[in-house]
Amino acid sequence: MILGQVVLNGFLVGAVYALFSSGLTLIWGMMNVVNFAHGDFVMIAMYVAFVVFTALHLGPAVFVPLAAVLLFLLGVLVYFSLVRHVMRGPMLAQILGTFGLALVLRYATLWVFSANFVSLPDNLLGPVVTVAGLRLEPSRVVAGLAALTLTIGLHLLLTRTALGSRLLAVAEDRNAAMLVGIRPDPMQALAWGIGAACTGVAGALIALFFYISPTVGESLALIAFVVVCLGGFGSVPGALVAGLLIGVIESLSAFWIGPANKDVVVFILFLAVLWFRPQGLLGKA
Amino acid sequence: MTIGRRPLLAAPALLLAGRAFAQGAAQGTPIKVGSLMPLTGVAASAGNSAKAALELAVELINTPQPDLAAMPLMATAGFPAIGGRPLQLVMADQQGNPSVAQNQALRLITQERVVALTGAYQSGLTLTASAIAERHGIPFVNGESVATNLTERGFQWFFRTTPIGPDIAAIYMEFLQQVRVGGRPVAKIAIVNENTEYGTSIADVIRRTAEGRGVSIALQIPYAANSADVSAQVLQLKEAQPDVVIFISYTSDAILYARTMRAQGYRPPVLIGDNSGFSDDSFVQSAGDIAQGLINRSAFDASRPGSNAFKINALYKTRTGREMDDTTARIMQGFLVACDAINRAGSTQPAAIQAALRATDLKPEQLIMGYRGVKFDAKGQNINASVLLVQLRGRDYVSVYPADTATAQLELPYKGWE
Amino acid sequence: MSASITAPARSAGRLVFAAFVLLALLVWPLLVENVFYQRVGALVMLAALSASAWNLVGGYAGQISIGHVLFFGCGAYASLLGFTWFEWPPIMGAPFGIALSLLLAVLVGLPTLRLKGHYFSMATIALAELARIIVVNSPSLGGGVGISGPAIPRSMADLSFISPLPYYYIFGAVLAVLLLFTWWMGRARMGFYLRAIRGQERAARSLGVPAQRYKLYALLVSAGFTSLAGSLYAAMVGFVDPDSGLGILLSVKMVIVSALGGAGTLFGPLVGAAILVPLEEFTNAAFGGDGTGITYVVYGAIIMLISRYAPGGLAEILARLKAWGARHAR
Repeated sequence: MILGQVVLNGFLVGAVYALFSSGLTLIWGMMNVVNFAHGDFVMIAMYVAFVVFTALHLGPAVFVPLAAVLLFLLGVLVYFSLVRHVMRGPMLAQILGTFGLALVLRYATLWVFSANFVSLPDNLLGPVVTVAGLRLEPSRVVAGLAALTLTIGLHLLLTRTALGSRLLAVAEDRNAAMLVGIRPDPMQALAWGIGAACTGVAGALIALFFYISPTVGESLALIAFVVVCLGGFGSVPGALVAGLLIGVIESLSAFWIGPANKDVVVFILFLAVLWFRPQGLLGKA
Repeated sequence: MTIGRRPLLAAPALLLAGRAFAQGAAQGTPIKVGSLMPLTGVAASAGNSAKAALELAVELINTPQPDLAAMPLMATAGFPAIGGRPLQLVMADQQGNPSVAQNQALRLITQERVVALTGAYQSGLTLTASAIAERHGIPFVNGESVATNLTERGFQWFFRTTPIGPDIAAIYMEFLQQVRVGGRPVAKIAIVNENTEYGTSIADVIRRTAEGRGVSIALQIPYAANSADVSAQVLQLKEAQPDVVIFISYTSDAILYARTMRAQGYRPPVLIGDNSGFSDDSFVQSAGDIAQGLINRSAFDASRPGSNAFKINALYKTRTGREMDDTTARIMQGFLVACDAINRAGSTQPAAIQAALRATDLKPEQLIMGYRGVKFDAKGQNINASVLLVQLRGRDYVSVYPADTATAQLELPYKGWE
Repeated sequence: MSASITAPARSAGRLVFAAFVLLALLVWPLLVENVFYQRVGALVMLAALSASAWNLVGGYAGQISIGHVLFFGCGAYASLLGFTWFEWPPIMGAPFGIALSLLLAVLVGLPTLRLKGHYFSMATIALAELARIIVVNSPSLGGGVGISGPAIPRSMADLSFISPLPYYYIFGAVLAVLLLFTWWMGRARMGFYLRAIRGQERAARSLGVPAQRYKLYALLVSAGFTSLAGSLYAAMVGFVDPDSGLGILLSVKMVIVSALGGAGTLFGPLVGAAILVPLEEFTNAAFGGDGTGITYVVYGAIIMLISRYAPGGLAEILARLKAWGARHAR
């Protein structure tokens, strides 16, 4: 029974990882732009949820969409003010620029909200339910469903719509896309907006069960990068699979060989996958 | 030495002093004391709480506080033995980085010309920063770092007021012994510790002390403090069913543990949360309601009206809107001890302050902490440091052990969210 | 300037300029009495040293490693473990740190250098994080608590000085050796090969460049010098723990310093360090005590602005200035 609960918890954490990574999949995985500020986007969304809840006493039905909209705007703003120019330079410039952005976002938040940890009330979506002896937190189940929805949505957007093909064309070759009449800037900006909106949804939902502080994104960002890379560049479903896989493996290894070593297992698995499949789990060769 | 060099600065200060004197404020060139704290990075919340407390301390020292007259420097303005000169705090951010801690220590000593240093929160940073103070011959007073080795280095300029690992482990063991006498099983002890310096060193010393007393630790689970999920640890505990669980955690993981334990429906009979994260007011506000009956180590008992701690906590609360936690209070106590020594030295000469620190002998009623006093041994460790245990009731900690300082009756088992 | 300047005159001018810069670098700390500035100077040299070492792999060969802290940590830990176990002066551990780094560079390089672009970067992060977690979980290596050097210096060999000046010159001397090597390499076959690999690895291979082998050579030299930087750091600070010796932020810093100055250029990392380190220290000195985080808002904003207006690093601005100068000279 305990083992079943361990695996279930692993899936739910994995879903959080997938959710956390969903915006990064689009921006880094598909559009090929490194975003070191990804974790801080999520952190901002968590504060949006916190402010809406504590100041306006409104629940997730309001703050999740609101976070998505605000983060969409932030994404577009970041694209036009920073990323567009940085993309003229080598990949290193993206690291440089988004690293600077991450610090600005993180510490501007600290300035406004102080460094203290805050959180939303426990069980905002209702108490724990027991199904077949397994305990389920509604907030985590919602997060899992959201991860699934966002992944499917992104995948469909990119593979089934004209907009998706245009986005991918720009990511593939900016100049060639221009030759066939696609203006790259609005496309890239849209990709940043959609990617950031995904992180907005993710952050607002994660705020339901996680603590909130200006540095929270920093500690979660690394796993998002591993998730996207393990899943493989160019694959949206890859990140979902990788997220779930990492969640379950972490949970099992934490239970069996101790939580201090769970990331050893994850990183070794990650390196092993790269050894055998240098393009990640579902990435294109 | 600073005054002589800056006659120009002293002149306007004197002009201003005339007006300030009427209000009973301190006068003259300020005497600077430095403090190194983590004001950014993952420990920023602790560092900023400390900053607020130290700023309060400066205000209290620089203006007469008849209400707190039992404590040194409070009844008067500034440093009465040094011509009533005011105290000035110079805060520096050590950014959680051992090298930055040294840079800032060097800057405070050579540029700001502080007469003493306090800080630097994490033991590793206290270690590197105090090495700079030692080389420059500037007193360094630490009120919060618990790593034993800090006072084992043969330093001449390092003083520490806080109780350290062995004191902490001892009180847990004595407490559990009493619980056992009370008829509750405590044979099976589990320790869950975050695996950086704080968690590792406290867990090790508890284990050693327990084994020294013939008690074995049934289960020890070290974990990384920044992990996104702690449910595996909780399930491990749920399966092992220990009688006593001791958590050694920072704020973020303490919040996650309380929530995850409720989500997984797990409550040990006796739950101890060692200080740091569990003392943080953020923990109490975020997760206090679902961690009722949690036992915590503290030496700061603000629950007795009329005590120094009670008054200081009230002042701190008006200032910040938050309760003062034990870590913050220990930092403030270290700072106050440094200031008291400067005054008794009657001079800003480092050697005189060092001598005054060595001669320190403060009594319990002169402190904000519940120590038996402050008196340093040859290594610079406070031999009268002591610890008490508190229990979470509602959103307040009340002191429950040892019996002579307790303000409330111990309630077991752990209630959690009920 | 007029167009009539001849080539020899120009190179003589360059020599004079270089000599002037070198002299300034040697002399300025002696003229400044402020110990804090001297220490910042030493830290500039140290950051320039590790970034220049990174530059061989990340800049010249274009393989963006974000795991170089692995080698830095080898050096730092070897120094202080030598003291902890055998009471050696910390610097005596440096050769062992370098040896371990070279070994790791081979073990790590062979599998990862096959990987392309982001996959390579992520693999290096994973390896460095693995090392960090293993050290955290190994009490014999100091675990999460960390290890320290001699508390009180026993002899000159402990390299424990009150003044930051000796550190400045030691770090500077090692940096000079590394820059000389880099300069030589840039003109030797290896430099051409690495640049070819950075430009178009597949094309370079088809022209017969032994890409794997030369990438590995670059990694070996880079790892050795990064490790030495770690040893020197440990000797100066006298303490290392998993975060300060193996933390991911250190790897990122090497990348940032190089990218800011201009990756793949000889003096880029030095220029980057000379801007970034004082910026970091002085913003912290000015705003750090406020506790509002404004230090990093300013620091981050300046980095962002530089990347926004000079995506190729400050070397790009220099090149633009030169081109502008050349246009107007005519």
